[in-house]
Amino acid sequence: MAKKTSKGGDAQIEEVTLTIDGQEVTVPEGTTLLQAAQGVGTEVPHYCYHPGLSSPAMCRLCLVEVEGAPKLLASCTTTVAEGQVVLTQSEEATRMRRGVLEFYLLNHPLDCPICDQSGECDLQDYVFAEGREHGRGRDAKRVLGRDDFGGDVLFYGDRCVMCTRCVRFMDEIEENPLLTVVERGNRSVIDTFFEEGLDQAAWGGNVVDICPVGALVSKDFLHKARAWDLEHTPSICPNCSQGCNIELHTRDNLVHRMKPRANLEVNGHWICDYGRGRYEWLNRGDRLEAPVMFTESGNRAMGWKAALEALKARIDDVAEHSVKAIVSPFWSNEDLGAVARLVESLGGGVVFRSPQADEEIPLSGYEGLARRKGLAPNERGAELLGCVRVGDKAGQGGVDDFADHEGVVLVLGDSLDDQLERFAPNAALVVYLGAYTSSALASADFQFPVTTFAEQEGTFTNHVGRVQRFWPALKGPGAARPAWLVLGALLAALQDEEGPSRAEQAFSLVVDSVESYEGLSYESIGAGGGPTGEPVPLAGD
Amino acid sequence: MAINTKVIQRPDPRRISYLRAAFKGMALTLRHMLSPKTVTQQYPEEQTELSPRWRGTHVMEVHADGRPKCVACGLCPTVCPANCIRLVGGEDDQGNRYPIVFEIDEFRCIFCGMCQEVCPVEAIHMGRDFENSEYTRDRFVYDLDRLMQQDHPSALLWDPADPAGE
Repeated sequence: MAKKTSKGGDAQIEEVTLTIDGQEVTVPEGTTLLQAAQGVGTEVPHYCYHPGLSSPAMCRLCLVEVEGAPKLLASCTTTVAEGQVVLTQSEEATRMRRGVLEFYLLNHPLDCPICDQSGECDLQDYVFAEGREHGRGRDAKRVLGRDDFGGDVLFYGDRCVMCTRCVRFMDEIEENPLLTVVERGNRSVIDTFFEEGLDQAAWGGNVVDICPVGALVSKDFLHKARAWDLEHTPSICPNCSQGCNIELHTRDNLVHRMKPRANLEVNGHWICDYGRGRYEWLNRGDRLEAPVMFTESGNRAMGWKAALEALKARIDDVAEHSVKAIVSPFWSNEDLGAVARLVESLGGGVVFRSPQADEEIPLSGYEGLARRKGLAPNERGAELLGCVRVGDKAGQGGVDDFADHEGVVLVLGDSLDDQLERFAPNAALVVYLGAYTSSALASADFQFPVTTFAEQEGTFTNHVGRVQRFWPALKGPGAARPAWLVLGALLAALQDEEGPSRAEQAFSLVVDSVESYEGLSYESIGAGGGPTGEPVPLAGD
Repeated sequence: MAINTKVIQRPDPRRISYLRAAFKGMALTLRHMLSPKTVTQQYPEEQTELSPRWRGTHVMEVHADGRPKCVACGLCPTVCPANCIRLVGGEDDQGNRYPIVFEIDEFRCIFCGMCQEVCPVEAIHMGRDFENSEYTRDRFVYDLDRLMQQDHPSALLWDPADPAGE
């Protein structure tokens, strides 16, 4: 068989053809058997292998039969060779894996009912798929109890299968080796160094994600929900401008945790502890639920149609049309774009305030990944839409000039918690589109409930201008609607034309107004984000 | 003759007698009255003997120290086809996982017994009891304390000597 070559970047990458379980597959040279098998849809059981880490081939679970080899080979470290014939499901390979799994269960407690990993546990899955029906162990199991590793991490020593993924993560990726294996042989156990725990690590929460069993569990999530009850929605981390790809795990319309979603171009397989721990604000209860109009007798709740008609009538009445708008960079491009369009048609300007951290928290072993200084997910998107940054590092102040403004004041998302008095008292018309109640805006002429990013479809633009999509994970409260829908309907009424009815249409209006977004659409961005347009490689785990 | 009219030919009254049939019926009644064999059960003075597999009101088993055996694994609310179990897990002061909230809505329950079958620690059981009437509807939502206080025997869904049915 002749070797084929293909161009990948500048270097010439040799391609190799081999047969896995009877299926012929062509992969680049240097691919491991395990990755090649994943490519044809065969999952070889593994613990120590993780796509983001080195492979020490110590779990001995990914053994496969290769024709011509004297014994079974660890597929996570064996690279492909031309004409190789690999059997992952042969009698010999499954017999060996069954034996290895039996060894794992010698000391693994069968406490699945009280284990948080239950339902997403690799040991559970593999034993169910390939293990023995009944254990033959006669000796008592080793009992180690549990240990607080610091930070958000709790260690259940009995459940550990010694894959050392956590040790290698701290070593290779975080480059802060706070975990190690102590003792030897069947007495070996993962431990911290004396009193130095993971509270000194800024990315230590990732060891919980990569642990294939329930040995490392999150204190925050402990006993909170069962894995099979949670719904997973792809989203973007809202806690800094890096734009890490995440999954929101929800149940009963509440976010229970955030997990990283693999995207090798942004965050690899990792997210920081800072972002991971800040999801509670998505579950806040003090939400606006119905459109409210301020009248002489107080606030009056009303339906959307009546509220928008009343607002349109008020805008037509206002003598000075110029709009001063303040937006929150926690809202999507679609929402900010709708504000920008409205301001453009009536005249005026848009500002935004955004909290800033003093320094970045980089992940040393993964280039381009850090907790950024900008602590809002869509700062770059706001800037690209022509919004001007005001205020201090805490995301406060900078709005004193609103007090003298006599035209229209529009607030999106920013609940102005630092403003103690009534906001913009001289304005002819104050409109607040927000998710949360605000004391400074309690007597605004109109208060419209809008959805947060977790409750709508949309996009964020990260610090390097990469546009990434998120999907609705929660149901918005009451009559809350996406801001782009509300403002689009208002703008449509003012200009006598049709507004966007789908997020995709709202995004195409944003694309029209920002030069660097040219050619982007929801379809071309996909789940991985643009504007690179390159398909994101699929990564296991 | 008008449409839809049917003329019934009555039998000759001289040739029929209702008397014989009446006596026949009375004789049967009398025979049953005097017979020693009774069919009617005098509930509630007399109670039926329930099958050991009878599935009635739930029982939560308790440890010797009074804690519930439940470890809040979440399998019973998952398997429950009527969705009548509400469970919130937590950790007690000894570090054990336990149910903070465990409620069964006996109105919603269809008494299928799957919660007992799925329980890995044999905590929740169907009980051999059906007399669970109440004066108010909200009393039918049994909380953990109430389930632990149920003192009737629990159902045997399988033979204890041969649990796998082999």
